[in-house]
This record gives sequence, structure tokens and C-alpha cells, in this order.
Amino acid sequence: MVAEGALAAGCRFFAGYPITPASEIYEVMMRELVALGGLALSAPDEISSLCYCVGASLRGLKSMTATSGPGWALMSETVQYALMTETPVVIALIQRLGPSTGGATQGAQGDVLLAEFSTSGGYSIPVFAPSNAAECYELAQQAFNWSEHLRTPVVLLSDKEVGMTTELVDEAALAKLAPVERTGVDAKASTAAYDIERAEEAPGFAPVGGRAKVTVTGSAHDRQGRLRKASPEVVEMLVHLQRKIEAHATEMALVRPDLDPDASCLLISYGITARAGREAVGILRKEGFPISFLQIQTLFPVPVEALHMATAGIRTIFVAEENLTGQYRSVLAPYLTGQRVLGINRIGGMISPGEIVRAIARAGGTIPRADWPCEYSPAGALREPPLQRKAGA
Amino acid sequence: MGNSTYLAGDAKLPYCRGCGHALVVRQLSHALERLSLPPCSVVLATDIGCVGLADSLFPYLHTVHTTHGRSTAVATGMALADAVFPAAGLKPVVMIGDGGAMIGLLHLVHAAQLNVDVTVLVHNNFLFGMTGGQHSAFTPLGWVTATTPRGNCIPPLDLLALLRTAQAGFLARHFATDSNLDAVIAEAIAFPGFSLVEILETCTGYGAFKNKATGAALRDVISRQGYSVGRMEAERPRSTFRQLFQQEVESRRARKPQFPKSEETAERPNQPVLCHSERSEESRSASMPDQHAAEPEFKTQDSRFQAQNAKRLHIVIAGTAGERVQSSAALLCRAALSVGLYSTQKNDNPVTQGSGFSLSEICLSPQPIEYTGMESVDVVIGVSQDGWNELRANGTLAQVTPSTLLLLDSELEIANPTGRLLRQPFRRDATPKRAALAAIAFWLDIEPLFPSAAWEGVLVSLPVERREDVSQALRIGASLASQGGARAA
Repeated sequence: MVAEGALAAGCRFFAGYPITPASEIYEVMMRELVALGGLALSAPDEISSLCYCVGASLRGLKSMTATSGPGWALMSETVQYALMTETPVVIALIQRLGPSTGGATQGAQGDVLLAEFSTSGGYSIPVFAPSNAAECYELAQQAFNWSEHLRTPVVLLSDKEVGMTTELVDEAALAKLAPVERTGVDAKASTAAYDIERAEEAPGFAPVGGRAKVTVTGSAHDRQGRLRKASPEVVEMLVHLQRKIEAHATEMALVRPDLDPDASCLLISYGITARAGREAVGILRKEGFPISFLQIQTLFPVPVEALHMATAGIRTIFVAEENLTGQYRSVLAPYLTGQRVLGINRIGGMISPGEIVRAIARAGGTIPRADWPCEYSPAGALREPPLQRKAGA
Repeated sequence: MGNSTYLAGDAKLPYCRGCGHALVVRQLSHALERLSLPPCSVVLATDIGCVGLADSLFPYLHTVHTTHGRSTAVATGMALADAVFPAAGLKPVVMIGDGGAMIGLLHLVHAAQLNVDVTVLVHNNFLFGMTGGQHSAFTPLGWVTATTPRGNCIPPLDLLALLRTAQAGFLARHFATDSNLDAVIAEAIAFPGFSLVEILETCTGYGAFKNKATGAALRDVISRQGYSVGRMEAERPRSTFRQLFQQEVESRRARKPQFPKSEETAERPNQPVLCHSERSEESRSASMPDQHAAEPEFKTQDSRFQAQNAKRLHIVIAGTAGERVQSSAALLCRAALSVGLYSTQKNDNPVTQGSGFSLSEICLSPQPIEYTGMESVDVVIGVSQDGWNELRANGTLAQVTPSTLLLLDSELEIANPTGRLLRQPFRRDATPKRAALAAIAFWLDIEPLFPSAAWEGVLVSLPVERREDVSQALRIGASLASQGGARAA
């Protein structure tokens, strides 16, 4: 569905390299793209995959590649190049268990920080996280539209469990967004590659090979794309790279809230764990425990306004995610200063609704089953299996 | 400095006095003049190093300055995309040094293999000049550099010989001082497909002085390395990427469109479809129906089936790779879909895909499924020892409760499992490839989840040649059930 969403958004170039659990996107693209007037290609490695996509995008085709953690590691050089050169490109990062080769067929949500903070200089990369097949379709389109609109690399952060599970989809209910097309540059009006009017907006796009001369560089540059040392104009351009993302944070913010006005407790989750979270919230409410739920789809930029709306009146916040150290919780923490923030974390398998319920019950202490084993730690990580801890107690 | 359309007439060249780079940019400009290429049809992809300073010297050409070694890959991307535009003819020219050629060697090899319309000018000055004269993969034996003060003892790379093995169509080696260099570069750019010219020059800052390698002395160095100079004997011509791609497009156009998918879905706007985001190993061996071909045939019953026990069911089917475990599981999901049940399916197999166990984990529910994992298992279907062993290894059997139905092949060696155990000769009676589906049919016969008519919709969605096989498996399973096999051991 990532591939289908990308095609619906107008993706016409794909270069891929096989890697579980992202290979299916690659295979679908190889099968479908030529018939749509595009091109899909096998690259000899992930560095080439993304370089080919960047080149194709510069030539004028909406481009995407798909990979997992090990491939992303190789791509980070070119992600930064795309960011610096303001080249639209979408990278579907289908997480698996890390680090290194890790577990190819095991899911995880361990690449959240890696996806966002892999640029030298710490520039923001929009990251969208789908939790099911239908969201893959919608968020792939969102990823393309924002990538094109802001001329920036965008990450679609899925995982093995979302990407490799076959499930029922109501085709009629799928979100179909109007594709964003690149705003052209008038060949006569401008020869400046990065001629921005405001720091908050991306420059118009002219394809390499078109009539307007294009100057692209990964080096620090001025508005003309000329390599320059740190002149005020170069700094202005560097600030622009960040400003254009931040300025659209509210528009990019996608969340699925399920709030209870009586709740003093909020569960936040994203991706595959949001599904368990939704069920856990249903169980808790049945037990008479009021709780709010917030699924975050736009992980970056952080949807601050939605966060503040969801946390009004809340005293305790749980962030459930399938990684060891509470990666996204650490991102949210600075925005959640008035509440107790606790993590529900594990690796090696999906977090189940039962685990979430038990963790919240134990921490809340307000519902009957407070004797269930505790599965959170305020420090963030669940460092040993709860049953062992119980046995030792 | 010539007064050229391509090279900026008033620009002061940014290179050290005597550097070969200055000669190359002039010769490149002459080459473009020879070809009379419109400036907007040429893109210079420049690499890191002194060679990357060339962008600003060509004010009318498109220029793309890349990261180190990636100029060839980005140029290849542009050339690939250009093949999609029938009337286009973008000509990427890569300017890369010997350092970049090595760090991006893979890109050179693949560009040559693809035979994309990319021309690469390798400025080989035998070391890293911009960073202080460190040795490179191209440094001749014995050369003194900043990092080989007692002389280089690592043999240099013969790039042309290497790229010849990648079927590069145009390979040439010249000195930057060769008077015909512009003609050679023009020939390379005009060549249809991948072309590369290795241009030998001296870094006056770090190479020439320490190694006495200027003019004739440099020719001696090259001669001692056994390198030939000039155009390498051409391999027989082969199709360019653009030609191959256009042929592919034409041949697809000649074939009729196979799947009028949009019309079909337009007719039944509420048609739910199974979203297949993974294909099983069986589908790789083409025994699975093509999902797209199957969809138009597939009908959902109008009224949603009301499951008597309207609870979620977790089913695990375990067998051996190549025995249609995962495709049988997919058929079960399709049958469930046709009666309005939601389903998820997750498959597992060893990394080798074609050997060992094959598992499918299925969740069926009258409600939309959020959490796709299992906290307990309702039905375990085991049709081979491989599969059973894996269930023990991966912890599935630990989730078995006394109410779990264990439907196992009679041949399996098992040790007193908990659960409601049923043993049937699925492999013997139905053959190993039909065992999983027969077992599914057996289960549905003794614990009806939906009317057997649901299978009819599945059968018509299959290719004709597959239908008999599937219906036979279903018949055998049902017949085993009716023979009184329904008593739990």
C-alpha cells in the first residue's frame, strides 16, 4: 500500500535494492511503474538507490526508494545531499530489529531518532508513521506532497509488522489526496537555483535539462547556487532549510485523537503500537477507567498543538513504542513538562494490548487489577522481562 | 581563455599554475563547441575535489555538484529519468577525480553495465590534491605522497581494464596535454551509451615536484605501468539503456492492458479488497493466482456473515516451505473476506525461503482488527514436522490452552501437547501440497465458521487450472471430517 499510495501521488521513478521488510514495495514498483509511464530500477546498493532517485528527481520525476535500517545507514549521506540541494524525494524506511543487520524479519520501532536526526547540522526531516495498510496509502501521498511542496526529503517510517501483514482494506474509504505538483520557474525570469522569496517557502523548481539553467550543489551556497564560504547569504540559505519545515509544522501535523474529557491519563503511540494502544484503551474504558488516546502520524515536525490539546487536564502520560529507550518519548518530553511521562517499551515483539493495560493499571493504581505485573519503568526502558522481576521479588 | 559559448570567457581559472584541470576544462569546452550541443541539453555533474570547481566556469550549462564519488550515480539517475521522456536527450558529463573514481567505483561499474548515456571524465592526477597530496588508489608504485613518504607500495588500479569487464562501450586514456583531447572528449560525449575518458595529469602542488613526473617523465611512469594510451579496442556495440527502456515500453504497449482495475472498482465502490503487502514463497513459484487478475472476479456477499461465536480467532498454520502453506492461508482469508470477516495474515519462513518451515498466522474477526498479534491461539494446524518443530521453537505452543484445537497430521511426532488434539492423515490422503488446505477444510467442517458456499467465490477467483486442485483439497478435508474424524483425542 506504500507503493500504491506513492503511485497515486504521482511517483514515477523508483530505484531499489532488496532488503526485508521493504522488498515488496520494490517488487510492486518494478511491476507497475513502467505501465504508468515511469521507471523502476534495481540499483547495486542503497547509496546508488538514493543517488539515482535524487538524479531522477532533479530531472523532473517524482522519486522514491524503500529500505530498512541497514540500507538507511548507507543512504544518510544522500539524504543530507537531498536536503541541502532541496531535492524532493521520499524514502520509505520499513523498520526491522536493529542494530546492524539485526533481525530481518522482526519488527521494531527503533529507527525513530535515526530517521530524524541523521543530518549533520541537525536539520528537520518530515517523518510520517502509518499504523496500517490504509494509512500507508494515505501517508505515502502526504509524504510525496510535502516533499514536493517543500522540496525536501521526507521519510515514511513504517515497520515490518505494518509492511508485511496482509489485511483487509476498504478501497472506497482510502484517502485520495490531490497530488502536489512542483511549482515551475520561468526560464526567462530567473537563473537562480534557490531564489526564495521568503525563508519559509521552498524555491520554485526547474528540471535539469529544461530551458532554465539549473545550478545544484551540496556545498554551502548562495541564492544562485554558488559555492560560498559563510557569507550572510549562505547562512540565510541554511536557516531557510530549517525554517521552511518549521513554518509548515502545523499544516503537516497529522494525529488520530480519541480523547475522553474525564480522563486524567493519556496514552500516546504511533505506528504498529498505536493499534495495540487503541485496543488497550477500549479494554480500560470497559473497566471503567477513563483514558484518552493520541495516535501520532506526523512524528516530525512534532505536532505540538495537537499535543497540547490532548494533554489539557492530563496528569499522567504513557508513551508506548517498540524500542528499548523510549525514543519518541524523549522527543516529546520537552513539550510535556506539566505531566508525569512514563514509557511502555519492549523489543523483540509487538507490544500487546494486555501489556499496555497492565502497565497503565499498575502505574495508575486506580483500577482493580493493580497486582498485574508492571511493565514500565519511569527511566524509560523495560530492561528485563517482567516475569523474571516478579519471580525475583 | 577562449571566447566560448560554454566556458565563461571572463573567468579566471581557479587552478594552480600548470594544473591539468585547466587544460581539461578548455578541451571540454572545445568538445562541446565541436558538437554544437545546446547548453541546456548538457549537465555537468562535478565531484568533490579541485575538479569540483568547474561548475562556475560553465555559466550556461546545468551544473550539479555532488558529494564525493556520487557524481556518477546522480548523473546516472538523471540519465535514467531522461529515458522516460521520449523527445529528450540530456547529456550528463561527469567530472571526477581519481579519489572520487575509487570511492564511487561501484557507480562507474553500474553505469557501464546499464550503458546509460553518461560521459565520465576521470581527472587522474594520482593523488588527493585538495586535501594535501595524500596517495590514492591510482598512485603509481614508488610515488612519494603525504601519506607514502617512503614511496607507495600498493599497486595502482587500472580503471579501464576494470570497466572493460563491465562491458563499457567507450573507454579511452589520454594525457591532459594531448592536442586531440577535445576530439576524444567530443567522441565520448557523442557515443551512444556509457563512455569514460581517463585523463592523466600532474598535480603541480603535490605530485610533480616530489616525483619528477611532468611531461615525458609522466609518460614513462604510465608506460612502466603497462597502460595503453588512446581508445581501448571497442567491445561489440550493445543497446543503450534508453534503447532497452523504449523497447520495453513499446512491447508493453503492444500487449493489451491486462487489468481494467479502475473500471472494476468503480462498479463496486464498496468492494473491500485484501491488501497483499507480502507475497509468499508459493507465489514466487507462480502457483498463486495473480492478485490483480483475481480481484475483478471476486465477490463479497451482500449481507455480513454473523459469526455465531462473534469473537476473534487466532489460527496458526504450520508446514514446510513449498507446500502451499501460506497460499492456503491466503485462500482462507479470502473465504473469510467474502463473508464479511476482517482478517490479517502474517507469514514466516527461514531466510532461505525455499527450505525448512513455512508458517502463517491468521486473525479472523467480525470487528476491524487493530492488534495483529496473538495473546493466545485458538487453532493450530500442523501439517509437517518442520512446521511443528518451529511452533515449538518460536513459542507458539506456549500460547496453547486446553481449549485450543490442535489439528495435526498423523505423521507428526509430538509429545503430549495440551489442547484438543485431532490427528488426520492430511499428507497421505491429500498429498503434502494440499495438506494445509485439506486441514483448513477439515477444521471448518467440524467447527463451521462460515457457510461452505464461501469457497465458491474463492474458487472462481482462481485461474482455471488451479481450481480443480483447490476444490479437491477442500473435498478431501471435508470427507476426512465426515468420516468421523471430528472426535478430539
